[in-house]
Amino acid sequence: MIWQLDLILLIFLVITALISLRVRDLLGASMVFGIYSFLICLLWAGMGAVDVAFTEAAVGAGVSTVILVATVYHTRRVTGGHKRASGMKLLSLLLMLVLGGVLLHASGDFPALGDPTSPANNHPVAQYYIEGSYQDTKVPNLVTSVLADYRGYDTLFETVVVFVAGIGILAVIGVPTARMRREEVCGDTAQFGEDSDLIILQTCRLVVPVLQLFALYVIAHGHHSPGGGFQGGVLFGASYILLALSGGLREALRRLSESMSFRLAACGIVIYAGFGLLCMALGSSFLDYAILDSILPGGVAKARSHSMLIVEAGVGFTVTTILFVIYANLATRGKLEGGL
Amino acid sequence: MNGFILGVAMFILVLVGALLYRVWFGPTAIDRIVAANAIGTKTTVLLVLVGLLFDDVGMFVDFALAYGLLNFMGSLAAARYFQRSEKRAEAGLRHPLPVRSKEDAS
Amino acid sequence: MSLFFDLLSGSMMITGLVFFVGTVTGMLRFPDFYTRMHAGGKGDTLSTILILLGAAIHVFEDFFYDPLQWGVLLVMVKILAIAAFIMLTSPTSTHALMRAGFEDAHEADETVVDKDQDGPSLEELQSGTWEERS
Repeated sequence: MIWQLDLILLIFLVITALISLRVRDLLGASMVFGIYSFLICLLWAGMGAVDVAFTEAAVGAGVSTVILVATVYHTRRVTGGHKRASGMKLLSLLLMLVLGGVLLHASGDFPALGDPTSPANNHPVAQYYIEGSYQDTKVPNLVTSVLADYRGYDTLFETVVVFVAGIGILAVIGVPTARMRREEVCGDTAQFGEDSDLIILQTCRLVVPVLQLFALYVIAHGHHSPGGGFQGGVLFGASYILLALSGGLREALRRLSESMSFRLAACGIVIYAGFGLLCMALGSSFLDYAILDSILPGGVAKARSHSMLIVEAGVGFTVTTILFVIYANLATRGKLEGGL
Repeated sequence: MNGFILGVAMFILVLVGALLYRVWFGPTAIDRIVAANAIGTKTTVLLVLVGLLFDDVGMFVDFALAYGLLNFMGSLAAARYFQRSEKRAEAGLRHPLPVRSKEDAS
Repeated sequence: MSLFFDLLSGSMMITGLVFFVGTVTGMLRFPDFYTRMHAGGKGDTLSTILILLGAAIHVFEDFFYDPLQWGVLLVMVKILAIAAFIMLTSPTSTHALMRAGFEDAHEADETVVDKDQDGPSLEELQSGTWEERS
């Protein structure tokens, strides 16, 4: 906890929030949200919470900015502001001030940051995880072991929520007839769109393989370093979005069509839930990996470690494909052609 | 050395604050995008420096690499927004760049 | 020896900071979008690379005193990979943004546009009708 850096970052955070209110141009506002995400991610990195900061960087500063810009492309770029302050606005300002004041007053009762005697740190469950996690699962990264093993049930439903978000986007803005035509056409042509720039195209051709390899590394290395299925999946999905930005959406769809995306996303959930059912089939309860010692090599702790890896790979599948589907549909208003 | 690295990090942060001025007052949207891109690149550097301060660079370096990759993507998306613009043809420009003379420069 | 490494990495970081001060000054003070973009794109890239090289040398110091600690060498290689990556992609995004501004028909300030006479075209050269104004 480096208080000098945190102080400056917090001041900038307030300034950025004020800027985002003042900027009337929606494109500029999306960039300001990107800056807000960088600053939050630096704050979390300063506190030592690297997994959270990684996810914030990947989702907030990377993919979220791109999706916002792709959506703003279809709108009128300037928010039509009503210049006079009406009664409702003043009332809501008053309510926000009162609520903020109450929250600030309540925050005085919090324990100090990193206090070892605070209730959150003293609870026996927290102590059990900190002391017993390495013996139980042989995974040095505590965050990954809690997410994928001790609390694996929550992570399964988070993955399902991501999948449902993809289906929701498809249901709300997908245009079926245009899509079917696009899927037929997208198979054969091998040239890039005429609106792509040569320099950007060549640089992205160098960058995309590195990005994909790095995403696979982040998924696999999530046991020993910050990372894991979700962050690696976001990076992999970002590689397809980069392909769509540089060469045109058609190129990205040629490599990963929408129907294939949904099949892979469903595959990810089947892997995760299937592992749980496998544990039940072998005689233990749902998602209790210890029983898999009978079919995986290495002992009980290693069996848990391996099954965590496979389950994280399932999460990675789902997150990759659904991010790409969300981008493709939002950027083109469901028609999968034109747009950003 | 730790104090020196802390000084470097704080100095970079103060200069990033100066770039925030350009984000606020940039007369066009692209000025804001350029400043945001510069701030993003400096965040990568700051992450590595924070790693040096915590004496555990290995934990932060993967993260900084991923962040650099994603920052690039954000700028490309914002630049592509303008690529389909019809303004050049509409304005009927013959000289490659429209010139703003000193009298009407704000 | 330790002093040598500290001085080397410190001097690279300070050089990077000097370039960054130049970048920020350029972005605040230049009159026009194109020149601001120039300052931002070039100076930002170079200052980032220098500061990252300074950080890599600082990490290398640990490896130098205790070879066969491959974890530390890996970290240094990763920092160099970040620097190489920024060297590849930051100019590309500068190009993309500059092109975006060009397509959007941003104005160039009068002080930076070259008003000298252009050279002769091929037809003018061959027919001898080009005259040089001073």
